[in-house]
Amino acid sequence: MKSIFRKLYWLTRRADKEAELHEELQFHLEEEAQQRQEGGLAKDEARWAAHRELGNPALVEENTRAAWGWTRVEQLARDAAYGMRQVRRNPAFSAIAIATLALGIGGITAIFSAFDAILIRPLPYADADRLVMVWDDMSKSEGDSTFFSTPAEWTEWRRLNTVFTDLACSQPGDAILSGDGEPEEVRARKVTWNLWSVIGVQPALGRVFTEDEDDKGARVVVISHGLWQRRFGGASDIVGRKIPVNDEAYEVVGVMPRGFYFMPSRDIDMWMPASFPPGLRRNITWHVAQIVARLKPGVTLEQARQSMAALSFQVTARDFRGPHSVTVIPLREEMAGKTQTALIVLLWSAAALLLIACVNLANLLLSRGAVRGREVAVRAALGAGRGRLIAQFLTESLVLAGLGAVAGLALAVPAMRLLEQLVPEAMGAARLTLDWRVLAFATVIAVAAALAFGLAPAWRESRLAPQDGLRDGGRGTAGARSHWFQHSLIVIETALAVALLTCGGLLLQAFQHLWNTDLGIRSERLLTFETPLLRYKDFDRRVAFVNAELEKVRAIPGVTNAGAISRIPLTVTDGSRFYLLAQQPRDSASKQIALTRVVSRGYFTTVGARLREGRFFEPSDQKSESPAVVVNESFANRNYPGRSPLGERLKFERLNEKGYWYTIVGVVKEIRERGVAEESRPAIYRVHEQADQTNDLPSGIVVRTAVEPGSIISAVRQAIWSVDKNQPLARIRTMGDIVDRQLSTPTQSTALLGAFAVMALLLASIGIYGVLSYAVTQRTNEIGVRMALGATSRDILLSFGRRGLMLTLAGLAMGLALAAIAARSMTSLLYGFRPDYLPTVTVASLILLTVAALASLLPARRASRMDPVIALRSE
Amino acid sequence: MRGNAPSRIELLQGTLDLLILRTLLAGPAHGHAIATHIQRTSEDLLQVETGSLYPALHRLEAKGWIAPFWELSEKGKRARFYRLTPLGRKQLAAERSKWDAFSRAMALVLNPIDQEGL
Repeated sequence: MKSIFRKLYWLTRRADKEAELHEELQFHLEEEAQQRQEGGLAKDEARWAAHRELGNPALVEENTRAAWGWTRVEQLARDAAYGMRQVRRNPAFSAIAIATLALGIGGITAIFSAFDAILIRPLPYADADRLVMVWDDMSKSEGDSTFFSTPAEWTEWRRLNTVFTDLACSQPGDAILSGDGEPEEVRARKVTWNLWSVIGVQPALGRVFTEDEDDKGARVVVISHGLWQRRFGGASDIVGRKIPVNDEAYEVVGVMPRGFYFMPSRDIDMWMPASFPPGLRRNITWHVAQIVARLKPGVTLEQARQSMAALSFQVTARDFRGPHSVTVIPLREEMAGKTQTALIVLLWSAAALLLIACVNLANLLLSRGAVRGREVAVRAALGAGRGRLIAQFLTESLVLAGLGAVAGLALAVPAMRLLEQLVPEAMGAARLTLDWRVLAFATVIAVAAALAFGLAPAWRESRLAPQDGLRDGGRGTAGARSHWFQHSLIVIETALAVALLTCGGLLLQAFQHLWNTDLGIRSERLLTFETPLLRYKDFDRRVAFVNAELEKVRAIPGVTNAGAISRIPLTVTDGSRFYLLAQQPRDSASKQIALTRVVSRGYFTTVGARLREGRFFEPSDQKSESPAVVVNESFANRNYPGRSPLGERLKFERLNEKGYWYTIVGVVKEIRERGVAEESRPAIYRVHEQADQTNDLPSGIVVRTAVEPGSIISAVRQAIWSVDKNQPLARIRTMGDIVDRQLSTPTQSTALLGAFAVMALLLASIGIYGVLSYAVTQRTNEIGVRMALGATSRDILLSFGRRGLMLTLAGLAMGLALAAIAARSMTSLLYGFRPDYLPTVTVASLILLTVAALASLLPARRASRMDPVIALRSE
Repeated sequence: MRGNAPSRIELLQGTLDLLILRTLLAGPAHGHAIATHIQRTSEDLLQVETGSLYPALHRLEAKGWIAPFWELSEKGKRARFYRLTPLGRKQLAAERSKWDAFSRAMALVLNPIDQEGL
């Protein structure tokens, strides 16, 4: 350790030391001369003798400096400086090399930053790896395999399970915050008191609520750091303060730390006690709960899955719908969702691109190596050992990789801005930054790249025997073996390019399919927002309010129509119910789930839905014992295949006598209620005047405008406040934004993969061109001989063209095999779309063949047009 | 080189370090003085090559066994003097006992019966 510091100290005064060493030797010479003079020699003779005795002063100095122990570092610095000189001396070569590397390193670094943020960095909970989500598996009843659980199940699981230390439960609980300032809807969750102990997070201020408070339904809340800052200006006396939530006074008992977030969204600002009513705690069909659990130490995920499945069958044994299983998913997987596959595919693609870049550079360096043969030979003749030569070549590669990495980082930063859209809503920290992890990754990648593209050329060039290199022509340095090596490099990069092209093509097809999805509504010039109706608990007042606000909104200039729906289309995957058709036995309901929505009369026409048969809701559909429903095509096709469902009747969960029988009056063409990419499900729509038997509130408002939707937002606010000045508006966005947001992951991944594929193609064709034209240069002499012996230029053209073609075909075959493997791993990115492999593969192959043909034709033509006389003389 | 008189002995590998350290035990000295001292004390049998002296001095310095300082020589010129450090003193003791053992062993092997014959 000490010696390192001493060396570092020395390094800082390097120049001084050089001067001192020189002075020391000078002093020695004078002393020696003087001594000899005293011994009887003449002055000049004595000085000569002293010099002779010392020998070559430069050598002595050099040997002495070696004792300082910095030789290696110095050599490295010299090699690096030499490398920089090489970079400047061959600007064209360097520009290509650095640009290639910048694309490769920048691409993989940007993807890695997203990969790291979403899949690697620890989640902000204690031992987050041990946290799992537990969902009901309703796939046997046409539901999701990750369906909401019920508080009743949660109670039983807590009591009976053997695999979790504890389970916590939460459900949505939107809240309106009034008091000072505009009324504001905040995203809230109703959670059981033990949520924080399960995930292992403490509040930054105050406390969380107790089991007792939860049981009694105490009016207490825990708020987010963001809400505390935004709404309360970070007031230090926030804990203990009473705030008006849904027109009732709640006491703030705690504030969560900055950046805290938990499922299902990073935007949640308030946590209130779940306080499940005792009746609902026994209701096994009330699917509202999202459950997180912590695995006991030593329990594996698989054990938990088996144990919980068995327990669930036991708990739901008496469910009239039949018993069901559960799905246990690690928290990280739940949060990352589909993004995980997208990121993995992108990371592999970026790695493939980087590999292509390295292969290309290796080839370029090999070709250049022939040019530098003489220089190497001179160095070898002057005594540079092979290790020394390899070190020098590798340092030059490192210099190139370093410059490439710097340029790559410059490219990565804007790419990271785009990739931020890939961060799922359930996760925090949407900002991707060039932190030390990303920088360390880029460094490792750059070094690995330098080794990848520099090692083979360094090995080969350093092997050169000096006498070969010094001979004038430098001919015959590369034998059959080097061709073999360079050719396999070409095959590899072609294969990678084909694989990328094919995968990109598949994604593009799936993406096009997504874009062309019929949403069932017209999304342009459609404004959406939410008016939470928590304060309108009375049914009649609610209906009156909704109709009044729609009336006011419709009166705004520029508004064509307005409607209300319980869940804004394309945004919500849940909101479904079991149903029973007339003449069905009661237990059929256990197998039938349909999405249900409550709408206003003008809703369908406002969003531009299309009718297949029957009618939409009309003013005559008022509160009644025999209400009407509109169903979608999926519902009609599933339940009434080949015939009209009009006039048929159905019923919901409340299957006793009190439940209404609804009559089907219309069939609407499929609306993508659950999201653009989600497959359609049977759906049933009710009109809100007749929706007194459901707790679905028509709080979502859609407004069709003739003008740009953003321009009427403040008019809409005023219109609604003219009906109720305490009514907040939340999540104001256009349908266009909603669609864009949903397509952002596929857009991003398709665009990125497409870009990678194009770059890969470009690099591969440069590679083919480079190697073939190098071969032509190298074999000029041979071409001359062949032509002199009677070969026509056509023969020469064919001979070189054939080689290019063979390489391309070999690469193509390998690439298609690779693509077949890769395509399987990206099935989930295709959003249920089954692409036609054949056209994609054909197009990818054709593109590659064309590009490769051009790349090999140019050098081949050059070879065929050579004048044999000149070719023979080209020594 | 100052001739190769047959009476002179080539230094054994590694012995120069020991000689330098021993010389400096008597007190600080500059490079030329060290060389002269070794030569004189060995009755001109040992010849220190300048080409190896200075690398050796700098190597010992890098190891922390000797420490340099600038001072005026007896003739009033600025010279780089070296002195033994405590670490160097320890090293000298270690090297010396190693050398003693070595030379005793050499003597035993070379003169198995008596030494009068020499």
